[in-house]
Amino acid sequence: MTRAADMGWIGCHNCGAVHAPGPSRCRTCGAVLHARLPNSLQKVWAWLLTGVLFLIPANLYPLLSNEIFGHEEGHTILEGIVLFARSGDLLVAGVIFLASFVIPVVKVVVIALLAWSVHFDWQMDRRRRLLLYEFVEFIGRWSMIDVFVVALLTGLVHLGAILSFLPGLGAVCFAFSVICTMLSAQAMDAKLIWDDDRDE
Amino acid sequence: MTETDRKSEEQAAWAALFARDPDGVIACPACDRLHVATPVAPGQIARCTRCHFTLIAPRRDTLNRTLALALTSAVLMVALLGFPFLTLSRQGLSHEVSILGMVTGLAHGWYLLLALVVGLFVIALPMLRAAALVYVVWSLRRSRLAPASRRIFRLAEAVAPWAMTEVFIIGTGVALVKVAGLARVDFGTAFWLFCVMVLVLALKNASVCRWTIWALMREKSR
Repeated sequence: MTRAADMGWIGCHNCGAVHAPGPSRCRTCGAVLHARLPNSLQKVWAWLLTGVLFLIPANLYPLLSNEIFGHEEGHTILEGIVLFARSGDLLVAGVIFLASFVIPVVKVVVIALLAWSVHFDWQMDRRRRLLLYEFVEFIGRWSMIDVFVVALLTGLVHLGAILSFLPGLGAVCFAFSVICTMLSAQAMDAKLIWDDDRDE
Repeated sequence: MTETDRKSEEQAAWAALFARDPDGVIACPACDRLHVATPVAPGQIARCTRCHFTLIAPRRDTLNRTLALALTSAVLMVALLGFPFLTLSRQGLSHEVSILGMVTGLAHGWYLLLALVVGLFVIALPMLRAAALVYVVWSLRRSRLAPASRRIFRLAEAVAPWAMTEVFIIGTGVALVKVAGLARVDFGTAFWLFCVMVLVLALKNASVCRWTIWALMREKSR
């Protein structure tokens, strides 16, 4: 199997057009050409670590507090899931558990695994690694569910003293964490996965 | 024939192909493997033989369909912004909120960050993507390419992962369950419009074949 790199050519990361070395931009789509995205792994790690750091306050600070007849009560992401489960909404508890807990953790683990596998040249099945990569890119945005829930509840529920919701600092930290890990996944150059000299 | 012979023969074949027509060769954006660009019938999908990345997935009547769906989604988005999204009532008090009202209502103090996240990912970026697609497809249907079409289509593609309307509608469902025991919730016009828009956006995303659009742009600029 011949790669563009084997021929000394550069394949556009955006549209796939093939170029002989020389031009700095793709003749088809105008994107900047790189044989491999520069400092890809470094950017992946930078965004990933920032995302992980934001996850800590996101889970420690309250996500949302509600005020019912003047009595204010805040809860974190995990407490919110427990509240849903206790009140019998197992489906919703499951969705939030997936979106706000499982996906962020799995995403971080998978991105770290992919970055290490490239860095240390691990002999893992490459097609499976690409599947993992595409999975992470696809799934990332769904973690935003909880942030939107907080925004909707605080925007919607303003019944004076009877009942209102206030956003917690945790919601913003969580949103930043999701954004950082999405950027981390986007910084990964999938071509690196296929760059060892093994034949299929 | 030894392994190195086979390899150099293969490389010579690629070099000949590339010399004849550089646009007849595609490098998979996900794994860098070279492919010969062959015509693909609408509805069929050409995938990379090594990593299975989707290279070409043309749709029938892709330009008209994309244009219609992008315009529809833009109209729906503008229309639903001001209409009531949900209405909440309890013990005689009621509160009605539109999407725009929700975002502006959040915009004070550090809540502004939250308002920005929602405003960008749910309103601004989906609209930007729709507008960019309308511009590009419009330009492709005319005889000459409109200025900056390439840049604008790249922008539309880059924005795609950040347009989160469908995530927002699931979030709405969760919020409803959360409020259900506390107060009465009624759906407003904007809620239904939003549901329709999520469908339209999904259809629109499915009707765009990046490769077809780039190939058309290439022909136009010749």
